[in-house]
Amino acid sequence: MSIHFILVLNRQGKIRLAKWFNNSYTQEDKHKFVSDIHRLISSRDTKKQSNFVEYQSTKLVYRRYAGLYFICSVDLVDSELSYLESLHFLVEILDTYFDNVCELDLVFNFYKLYNILDEIYLGGEIQEISKKKILDRLAYLDKLS
Amino acid sequence: MKGLNQFIVDIRNSKDIEEEKKRINLELNNIQSKFNSNINSYQKKKYVCKLIYIYLSGYADSVDFGLKESFQLVCSSSHSEKQLGYLALSVLINNDKSTQSTRDFLDSLLDQVHSYLIKDLQSSNEDTNCLAVQFIASNFNLPESTTVRVNEADESAPKWLELIDIVYSFVTSPIHKSVIKKKAAIALYSLLKLYPQVLISNNNWIPRLLSLADDKDYGVSIASIPLIQFVVKSKPQFVKAIIPAISLKLYNIIIENKCPEEYYYYKSPAPWLVVKLLQLIEYFFFLSDTNDYAVLSIADLDEQTLNNLRSVVAQSIQNASQPIKGLPNRNSQSSTLFQAVSLAVFLDASSDAINGAINALMMLLTSNETNTRYLALDALIKLTARSTSNNLSASPSIDEKYTKIFKLLYDRDISVRRKSLDLLYTITNASSYSMVITKLLDYFPLCDFTLKPELAIKIAVLAEKFATDSTWYVTTMLKLLSISGGVNSNGTNYIGNEVWERIVQIIVNNEDLQKKTSKLIINLLKKPFSSTDNTPIALSENLIKVAAFVLGEYGDQVTYMSELSTKLQFHLLYDAYFKVSLTTRAMLLTTFLKFFVKYPDEDFIPEIMDLFEIEELSLDLEIQTRAHEYLTLATHKYSQQLFKEVLKPMPIFVKKESHLMDRIGSVSHIVGVNRSKSLVLAKNISSNKSKAARGIDSSPILDENSDGSNPFEEESKPVVLSPNWYSGYHRMLHYDAGIFYEDQLIKITYRVIKEGCALTLKLTIINNSAKTAGTDITGLTVLNLESLTDDHDPNYVLNLKQLPESTFHDKANMEISVKIRNVVENHESPILSITFMCGGSFNTLNLKFPVLLLKTLTSTALNGLDEFNRRWAQIGELLGPQGESSQAVNLTHRYNSSNIVRLLSRLGFAVVHATSDETDNTILVMGAGILHTQKTNYGVLATLKSTDQVGKEFEVAIRCSGGGVAEVVAITMKEILEGKF
Repeated sequence: MSIHFILVLNRQGKIRLAKWFNNSYTQEDKHKFVSDIHRLISSRDTKKQSNFVEYQSTKLVYRRYAGLYFICSVDLVDSELSYLESLHFLVEILDTYFDNVCELDLVFNFYKLYNILDEIYLGGEIQEISKKKILDRLAYLDKLS
Repeated sequence: MKGLNQFIVDIRNSKDIEEEKKRINLELNNIQSKFNSNINSYQKKKYVCKLIYIYLSGYADSVDFGLKESFQLVCSSSHSEKQLGYLALSVLINNDKSTQSTRDFLDSLLDQVHSYLIKDLQSSNEDTNCLAVQFIASNFNLPESTTVRVNEADESAPKWLELIDIVYSFVTSPIHKSVIKKKAAIALYSLLKLYPQVLISNNNWIPRLLSLADDKDYGVSIASIPLIQFVVKSKPQFVKAIIPAISLKLYNIIIENKCPEEYYYYKSPAPWLVVKLLQLIEYFFFLSDTNDYAVLSIADLDEQTLNNLRSVVAQSIQNASQPIKGLPNRNSQSSTLFQAVSLAVFLDASSDAINGAINALMMLLTSNETNTRYLALDALIKLTARSTSNNLSASPSIDEKYTKIFKLLYDRDISVRRKSLDLLYTITNASSYSMVITKLLDYFPLCDFTLKPELAIKIAVLAEKFATDSTWYVTTMLKLLSISGGVNSNGTNYIGNEVWERIVQIIVNNEDLQKKTSKLIINLLKKPFSSTDNTPIALSENLIKVAAFVLGEYGDQVTYMSELSTKLQFHLLYDAYFKVSLTTRAMLLTTFLKFFVKYPDEDFIPEIMDLFEIEELSLDLEIQTRAHEYLTLATHKYSQQLFKEVLKPMPIFVKKESHLMDRIGSVSHIVGVNRSKSLVLAKNISSNKSKAARGIDSSPILDENSDGSNPFEEESKPVVLSPNWYSGYHRMLHYDAGIFYEDQLIKITYRVIKEGCALTLKLTIINNSAKTAGTDITGLTVLNLESLTDDHDPNYVLNLKQLPESTFHDKANMEISVKIRNVVENHESPILSITFMCGGSFNTLNLKFPVLLLKTLTSTALNGLDEFNRRWAQIGELLGPQGESSQAVNLTHRYNSSNIVRLLSRLGFAVVHATSDETDNTILVMGAGILHTQKTNYGVLATLKSTDQVGKEFEVAIRCSGGGVAEVVAITMKEILEGKF
């Protein structure tokens, strides 16, 4: 019942965000996952195929927003739609926070992304589901020096 | 940070990878020299940030410094610097991991950061606490399946414990804000996964952790679900305590619309929380104890809880049956629907509700969204696989439904195609199998290569499971084998060996099939099934394999028909020989040897000899060996005896389970699918009573081991009863109403209602603090109702009929019903554990209440002392010492005869004789009654006689019509009189 990692890749396969919740992966594993997953997902037809695909006894739930793939890896027993919508929730938070988010926002604010994620997910679990609470909290943290 | 932005721009502007590398190396040198000089904390933050960027851009190997500066940032008093310091640590320390084990990595990480974490956890600033808690949850987290464990004896154990203790205090502290509570709940979960022993040795933590589910803050609720699931998994006996709170929470969200505005996602109330809570309850139904008994069944739920859950499920299904606008809404509603459907089966939902769910899901099958079609299929599979009464196949307009599902076999997405195949497999039953299999056989040639092996196995299993006509079975299976000829691009067969091997097993075991199959197979080899479009069908290796075996063993049974002659059989196989693979050829060589022995006078014998000679030179070792040995046998002056030994007929197969099931695919993982019994095979296997077959069926070995103990029970201490529990217990022994328990906060009164072997215990919980301090009781949970009788053949059964309200000002009612099944021993009384909050304090009560045989006593009218004496003697004659027990009783104060008479009547005895208070020196009272159990009733006779002059010493003698029962009753009587245990 948890997320193993969240990836944001662009269409070329460049990592825009990688959050590894599962700490048993080695550096090599991570490299392999990223290239495998990019190959797997970029070859799928967004119109005809579902947003879920099994990968190494986990389930990848993903969705494309403009040039970016938002991907999360969850347990096989987990609810696909719930996590698919959770990714959308994350995107909405980013969109409000960065005021019309685009790929460059993620590039230049890479360290902030981790702070944002730390208010929505933690240790692979969903931590907060109220958009207002998350945005208020982020605004509060930004004011701290 | 301007410098950082400029640096990122520079990197992005690099013309090629060489230039990028150059810039990065330049910057690395620059950062290193800056770190060596004196820089302020802002600069430190900027350079560490650049370092992280370089690391994440794929230059991890070049970043081998910066830890010292990261630690310095962690020590900063500025929040943003501290935050970046922690981020840098989690990124940079990860670097070393590839060279060591996960456990070593975690220990070394702990070593490095422990003192920093402790300092920040102890800070009075909650934002600082949060950063440390987040670091723990992010960096010490492993999946629950991990085998990495910290043990008490480990050197690092004290450090882990220190973290756990502080994090636990955040989770349960009443003064901390919910933002740190929810983070701490997740961090605690991560730590307990590594060090589960802590939970087992801290029994008192559990009620507090379970109460998190009821937290008003939805963030705390959802964040603590994994922790709660983990706790219940290690202590399954708490599952019943937690369900009422969860179902009430769901009820409030879905039915009562009590979800706070800020937790709405579009129009759906807290969809993620709802899904997780439903999932948690479903998980509870899957929990089993160490003997594989389910921990939770629907009978364990009180009516209110069950009704809440059923309404939630029904409402969720109904919500999703209406057209919904907007993708986020649709997805949220559907995710709730699928989770609700998944749970519905466990709730024993009415067939109306299940049919409603089926219809809603069938509607989704035609959705334009691939996701929805896929998930609706998945939900239907779960629903049908788990439900015992096959609702889907029995539902109205089933034909229409089949048509819909068959259509999905041709869906654009292969995942959907695979799921629809799984669904067909689960819903097929005795009335539809033939239609489904025919359709699936038609589908075979059109099916994806990757799906073919699965399809073949599903057809084989279904055919075997439902076949009632053996000819149909063999025809169908041979057809499957012949159309599944050919190989995929890797050169492997579409279908695995399991399929043809299974057919052979069945033919061997069913004599009546042998002749039939021989006929069919010859005809098939002569004239293969033609496909519709007239393309030649590839020669099926699997069919040849079966033919090689069947004709070799049973071919002689059909040779009386000219069109099935031996000669013809031989030529059919011989023609195939050079077209098939080496494994099949090896099989054919054996077949030819059988022909050689069975038909020594046929004119094809020289051809066999030639073949053996040629193959003696084969490059394949197996073929060469066989050819050589067979040739030697054939040219040797053989004796018939030798051949009989070499070519013994195949013995009957005794193994009951089929290898097909190993290959059935993901459907087999869904609970409730039980398809290993074969109709075709069953008759012969069961009549063939081999040891092996019985070994699988009978289970005395299992029974010996199941002593009903829970391994966690042994490790944990037994429940410690609350102080002052005994007076209420003792009162309940002989009074049917009164005060069960009282302290400053709470008072519990009781009433016992007897009805034969059924007892009803009505408890009223009164808030004592309402008058004194005006506070409410909140979070009242019946944590456990621990019956101490044997689990698997209990002497009594408890049922929580009515749960008390969790929050109240004055009082709350609860009701427990007890059924006495058999003679209850005196030490088996249950313990009621409840927890509640009152004015910020968390309280636990563990109270024992008497469930005793004597509580079922009702009076019986005897015709005076004479009948009493007659029966008394009768029991003595019949049962001897087994029928009687007497106990010496010492009372603390004096009793006279009327006291004893009142006591006996209160207990339910009919008093038959009593000495007078005034005249008699010795007190003697006699009473009679009937004890009730579900199995039988017992007559019981009691005699109380004083053994001193003042009425403080008595002898209690009991005779009872059940062997051994008298002693149980006598001991209870002694306890009642003496007030001691």
